[in-house]
Amino acid sequence: MTVPAVGTAMKVINNKTRGVFNLELDRMTGIVAEVEGTGIDSLEYNITRFVQVLRHLGVRVSLAETMDAMAALARVDLLSRGQFRGALRACLAKSSREAGLFNQAFDLFFTTAEEKLKRQKLRKEMQEERERLISGAQQELNGVMEDWQGELPEKIALTDMQLETYSLLPEEEKERMKEILERMKANPVNNPGELINRVLQSSLNYWRYYMMKNLKEKEGSRIPAEAELTGDEELDEVIQSVAAEFYHTPGDRIKHQDMESLDDGDLPRITALINHISSQLALGMSRRYKRSSRPVAVDIRRTVRRNIKYGGIPLELKFRSRRKKRPGFLLICDVSASMARYARFVLQFMYGLSSAVKEIESFIFSENLERITPFFRLNDNFSGSMTEIVNSSRQWGKSTNLYQSLKTFKKLYGDTASRETIVFIVSDTKTVAPGEAARLLGDLRRKCGELIWLNTLPAIEWEKQPQIGVFRKIADMYPCNTLSQLEKAVRRHVLGRYA
Amino acid sequence: MNISLNDLKKSMEREGYISEDDLAVTVYLALTLQKPLLVEGAPGVGKTEIAKVLGRVFAAEVIRLQCYEGLDENKALYEWNYQKQLLKIQIMKDACARDDIEKDLFDEEYLLERPLLKAIRTEKTVVLLIDEVDKVDEPFEAFLFELLSDFQVSIPELGTLSARKIPIVVLTSNGDRDLSDGLKRRCVYLYIDYPDIDKEVRILQTKVPEAGERLRLEVAAAVNFIRANLDLRKQPSIAESIDWARALMALDADFLGVDSISRTVNTLLKNRDDRMQLMSGNVLHDLMHRLNSVGWPEKEHDCAGCGHGHEGHK
Ligand SMILES: Nc1ncnc2c1ncn2[C@@H]1O[C@H](COP(=O)(O)OP(=O)(O)OP(=O)(O)O)[C@@H](O)[C@H]1O
Ligand SMILES: [Mg+2]
Repeated sequence: MTVPAVGTAMKVINNKTRGVFNLELDRMTGIVAEVEGTGIDSLEYNITRFVQVLRHLGVRVSLAETMDAMAALARVDLLSRGQFRGALRACLAKSSREAGLFNQAFDLFFTTAEEKLKRQKLRKEMQEERERLISGAQQELNGVMEDWQGELPEKIALTDMQLETYSLLPEEEKERMKEILERMKANPVNNPGELINRVLQSSLNYWRYYMMKNLKEKEGSRIPAEAELTGDEELDEVIQSVAAEFYHTPGDRIKHQDMESLDDGDLPRITALINHISSQLALGMSRRYKRSSRPVAVDIRRTVRRNIKYGGIPLELKFRSRRKKRPGFLLICDVSASMARYARFVLQFMYGLSSAVKEIESFIFSENLERITPFFRLNDNFSGSMTEIVNSSRQWGKSTNLYQSLKTFKKLYGDTASRETIVFIVSDTKTVAPGEAARLLGDLRRKCGELIWLNTLPAIEWEKQPQIGVFRKIADMYPCNTLSQLEKAVRRHVLGRYA
Repeated sequence: MNISLNDLKKSMEREGYISEDDLAVTVYLALTLQKPLLVEGAPGVGKTEIAKVLGRVFAAEVIRLQCYEGLDENKALYEWNYQKQLLKIQIMKDACARDDIEKDLFDEEYLLERPLLKAIRTEKTVVLLIDEVDKVDEPFEAFLFELLSDFQVSIPELGTLSARKIPIVVLTSNGDRDLSDGLKRRCVYLYIDYPDIDKEVRILQTKVPEAGERLRLEVAAAVNFIRANLDLRKQPSIAESIDWARALMALDADFLGVDSISRTVNTLLKNRDDRMQLMSGNVLHDLMHRLNSVGWPEKEHDCAGCGHGHEGHK
């Protein structure tokens, strides 16, 4: 998975919004002819690649379905674009959302040779522009180092990404960096190359993060929060364009956008959506678990069989087996400064669940941990509960100490976790004392049934955070920066997965 | 199924089901690939109707399994007729050995067929409609998935019963709950959206033929406008626009006006808040403007008192 460079990403977005290419029938004939003309497996090859695009857009396509699609194509008129598309969609897209993604991807992927050529050119230009920026940055930095005294650092070993970030910096920021280099020249230390690299790299990484974040805020809905790139340029281009344009209905956009960048203007819609999702889940939970308390039904077939020996008089009754016992749920939600926006939505979600399902204990933490279950019970609306939580809690917007928080949990509420308990931790993992926290986390893991960590950092950033590796060894970790991911993770662990 | 795509589309139309190309291709593929057709979409867009119309097209019996929460195999597949079994035991209790009675008791004779078993045991091809499958519990869905994978069921006392004829299977879902990947993978998928004006006009034409051309067009345009522009609790479905057109006919209305709308709106919008939203001055005014632009010549709409003349048509 590659991260699109800042500049490239911006350009792709600008260029790709141009949109969907409509084709008349005769052009389509051309395409199919082209596809078919290049050899017997060429159609298959294209379908396989198209399936790859769909998969990376989050459409789950199995091998069996790909084969169904091929079988379907054999039964329609390939010269009719409508039939061709209909046949593929019927076999490859299995929800309204997937059908929407499919339609856009189809239009971009199965396009004319001219369009493809145009896009190829555009791609090449973007690539060249990027290379130009990178080599410019390299030269500029080398220039500063030219008259280096004494032991010369081999080269300034920056990655292309870092060099690109440098080239995109505002002028005064570039000057500032060069100045730092100059000062280091005047004041040689033991291992200057190493030091310079580290200073440069960390500040460039910071800038990159900052720029990406700004871009995200500005382009909010356009950034594909869940789409993953393949590394194959031609496919990636389709993936990026679709992802950038897909989330056009407000509900979809909200569900798949990073919660942090959700717009306050959308709040009523977000609230409605969260309520909808949580009530659906609550319904599922009560369906799945409620029957355990009801009287169980007589199993007629086994009863009849059992009572043959009594001449059919049902002396011994046989019962259907009981349903699963209902597990308890513990939610531990990080409400520190870096999590504030996520926490608001996650808590609202949990509020929705709590109102329908009683076995949920909720906690918030930052510097320390506090139980908030009573607040959810007290009020009959979320904003009332939320206001009271924020007013009476000392945790809101502080820094994070998971260690202290887990210590408090263990001491005061340790009994609430048992083998039947599913524990959810929602946090971006940015805590002080991660090592000690991990130790207590391990204790908790051993006490409860399942320990699930919903991480609000996008998965692509996980590798950069060493503590994540440690926590992941203990808890099952899932990315959770969009409502859709939150829903999926909770659904999976609360309602279970099968088939 | 021996039918061409074109013939299928025409036959469905003849039986009163209006379809666009995408829909027809998908249904056609389900038939020729002999796969279950999974239809999703908002309420009242014509999901259930597909199964019924296929029954008519192929002169096949439609066997319906209406799903609900708590539906289980006893209701869906088969049950033993235990009253009959108990009687049999009473009659036989002195005459036979226990093992023999037991063997006799669990014979097909005592089997009560429920829709699923009936669908696979019938000699002729049938249409099996599994309606609102999103309502069932997940274990039952898993069971359905198995049944639809190989069209055979095993009954412990009788062994495996396989389909005499593979039925045409249509599953519908309102999307209340995501169906399992396994089930979806087995199926050919069709999502039905609300129709565009043109399709809805054609549906009205077949369902309410007594309505005039202008009324059909205006009803379709109005419903289209309402779906696209109002934020309603419940969007009007096709069934509701049909009802609306019928109600308007009952008033002898041959076009839409503020008066005829307000007298019939409760057939279109079932929710009170939704009705109030539509009947508010601004919305109604916009709607009238829209109707003026759909291209019916020489019309004079009264226009929610907007106080200026309209040009009638473009
Ligand atoms: N394409 C169509 N052609 C003709 N009639 C249609 C069409 N679509 C829908 N209808 C009409 O709309 C009515 C509602 O359709 P149907 O009952 O199939 O909806 P549904 O999608 O199954 O709804 P629900 O989700 O509420 O079960 C039907 O009576 C049918 O007459
Ligand atoms: Mg129905």
